[in-house]
Amino acid sequence: MNNWQRILSVARRELRIIRNRPLYFMGSIGVIAFCAIFYLTFLDKGLPDNIPIGIVDEDYSSTSRNFCQQLDATQLGKVVHYDSYAAAREDMTSGKIAAVCVIPEGMNEDIQASRQPKITFYVNGLYFVNGALAWKDLLTMVNLTNGAVQRQVLRARGYNDARIMGMIRPIDIDTHQIGNVTTNYNYYLSGVLLPGTLEMIIILVLIYSLGAELKFGTSRHLMNTSGHSIVTALAGKLLVWTLVFAAIGFVIIMLLYHWLHFPLAGSIFNMFIAMFLLVISSEAVAIFILEMLPVPRLALSIGALYSVLGLSLSGFTLPLEAMPPYIQGLAAAFPLRHYYLFHVQEVVFGAGFAGWWKEVIWMLVFLFVPLTGLIRLKNAYIHQNYPKE
Amino acid sequence: MTYMGQRFIKTWLKDWWEIFCHELRQIFSDGGVLLIFLVAGLAYPLLYNVVYLNGVLSDTPIAVVDDAACPDSRRFIREIDATREVEVVARCVNMAEAEKLMRERKVRGIVYFPRDFGEKLARMETAKLSVYADMSSFLYYKNALMATNFVMLHEIGQIQMERYSLAGMTEQEASQVVKPLGYEDNNPYNRAFNYSFFLISAILMIIIQQTLFYGMSLLVGTQRERNHSFASLPDKLEGHGMVRVVLGRGGAYWLLYLGIGMYIAFIVPAIFGIPQRGQFGDILAMLIFFITDCVFFSMTWSTLITRRESVFLLFLAMSPICLFLTGCSWPTVAFPGFWKVFSYIFPSTFGVQGYINLSTAGGDISAAGTQMRAMILQTIIYFGAACACIFAENWVIRHKEEIRERREALARKAGIDKAEDARIISGE
Repeated sequence: MNNWQRILSVARRELRIIRNRPLYFMGSIGVIAFCAIFYLTFLDKGLPDNIPIGIVDEDYSSTSRNFCQQLDATQLGKVVHYDSYAAAREDMTSGKIAAVCVIPEGMNEDIQASRQPKITFYVNGLYFVNGALAWKDLLTMVNLTNGAVQRQVLRARGYNDARIMGMIRPIDIDTHQIGNVTTNYNYYLSGVLLPGTLEMIIILVLIYSLGAELKFGTSRHLMNTSGHSIVTALAGKLLVWTLVFAAIGFVIIMLLYHWLHFPLAGSIFNMFIAMFLLVISSEAVAIFILEMLPVPRLALSIGALYSVLGLSLSGFTLPLEAMPPYIQGLAAAFPLRHYYLFHVQEVVFGAGFAGWWKEVIWMLVFLFVPLTGLIRLKNAYIHQNYPKE
Repeated sequence: MTYMGQRFIKTWLKDWWEIFCHELRQIFSDGGVLLIFLVAGLAYPLLYNVVYLNGVLSDTPIAVVDDAACPDSRRFIREIDATREVEVVARCVNMAEAEKLMRERKVRGIVYFPRDFGEKLARMETAKLSVYADMSSFLYYKNALMATNFVMLHEIGQIQMERYSLAGMTEQEASQVVKPLGYEDNNPYNRAFNYSFFLISAILMIIIQQTLFYGMSLLVGTQRERNHSFASLPDKLEGHGMVRVVLGRGGAYWLLYLGIGMYIAFIVPAIFGIPQRGQFGDILAMLIFFITDCVFFSMTWSTLITRRESVFLLFLAMSPICLFLTGCSWPTVAFPGFWKVFSYIFPSTFGVQGYINLSTAGGDISAAGTQMRAMILQTIIYFGAACACIFAENWVIRHKEEIRERREALARKAGIDKAEDARIISGE
């Protein structure tokens, strides 16, 4: 038997193992399918709407009623009326409404008499997206109400509408959201969360697959099949798993950027490259963890702690520069971080090779890491001298 | 009380005590479980706090392209630079240069003043400026937008005052027309929209639930692999007495997690300055409900785990999903119907909300009333489910042979040759 045939026979053996233990199928394809369905349907709306905003209307005039109706008519807000501030505040604290807006008694009269009344609003910033959007909506409404009153005053003074616009709004801002025109949370989060979940799956499944040889005591037979070469043994196993994970990864990329039409400034083929690099670098991390700790149960626990942390440290929600410096350095040790930077260059800016070549090098560096422990793993496979569980 | 009744209570308590001690011994003699309970349960909260220590992103770098080059645009730029949110790090001669900086990720946004910006202001028309934001993180966008909007509102006020006085109004009149309706905004619980206040509070409760579930599942899987069962009842009971098994095992985890939970809910936030505005007694009451709920939740779902390691492979990806289902980032009102119902499966959905309302927002116990009621209901349901699982497990143990035969028949039907597989896999 030459080496290629040995690799193939290890791969055939791996396929038998997968068929024998449904856990492999459930843990890879089952989990990613569930997560894809979850994230993509959960965030399907893109941006929340009809956020409940409590209003305590102590004025009850035409102006305040108009204010409430306008607020209710915005896409973001939905008005809930309260009789007292205390009741509204209690509901805000318990998270039922995102904000409370108090319209003072006599507001209408005070506006007519130019006594400059004040609307007060309170936002619950602990329900984050909810609070921030309600705050934005209320601020917009107050400014619009101001504009409407000014327009009435100026019309009474005999200005024409063109001049009035210049008076009311001397400066305007024209916002361009690069890479996500509609502020869509689905594009923003799913584009990184799904590859992140895949990284988690790769690390766990591969550690389990390599560790199971020790756990069930089949590692010596594996070494026999591979002609006592740890490289051949790993090559055979990785042949199967790389094909499986790369296929899952490519389906994710197709799903996001082709079938669901997520915005993509660059080319989908470059995203295939990014995904393939994420797959092989995550595999390298998994092998490394098991090499250093050839005790399946401990290696899996470490892999779990590592891969959950990877989601935070990729820096796609809270940017890395807001984290402490020593954590920023640590982030480079996670393949997902480099995938995210690649993703930004390709998906947001369409920068191409010039933008992401550094990330490619980073992810390729991960491939050298498991080489350091090959001998250790080989000894563990042959001597089986670590605790089995 | 009759003699029989007393005897029953006596044996009940004795059984309970035995099961309770046995489970505690199991926990403390298993390195993997201790790794999850102690390292993950105690160290993870600290780690996440360090990661999200400064939850406020300040001084986001932006570039400015000032084609107008007039006093108004220069003042605008100075004022943007002075905000907490952004910092002007580059003044570019044209958009191409600024775009290059953005692609190199040296700046996260661009503010562009067109050539006619000053002229339009002088002609009393609406002058437009453009903001380009990098959407790779929404916090960059939020910062760029907030900074420019604050400055714009401030500038508008000033310019309007000038224009109205030119139109012949006195200063008093002008100020009344410019701002007929004032506002005062308060964000009492999270003044600066700090990212860590809400996220840490949520993560802390999720850590309690998930570590408890993973640890318990590890033990259940281990015992099944060793051909024991978590459900092994005292033999003399012959299948009765599920309640004392559930309460005995549950009691062990409950006791352990009362300690870990109090550390996570009270000490960790104190170390890192996360607001603790609530009453100690209220939060403790909520925490006890939550932990009880989590114990029965874990006992029910860990029944699905047949091997030691499979819990991570199957359920690790649920942790971020649980975080989404709490509704503290993506609002509950925007949940699709199915996922809203799905979120009721997890104690964390209510535990996180309760903890945020009581501890971080400082509401009184009624602020978590809905959540407490939901958790009580969940506890009752999961207690019943846990008992049912023990019952089912006992049934499975008694019918082991039958089930094995069925499975082999099924494998034969599907054309799987177990002997051949064993030969190829392990050489037997």
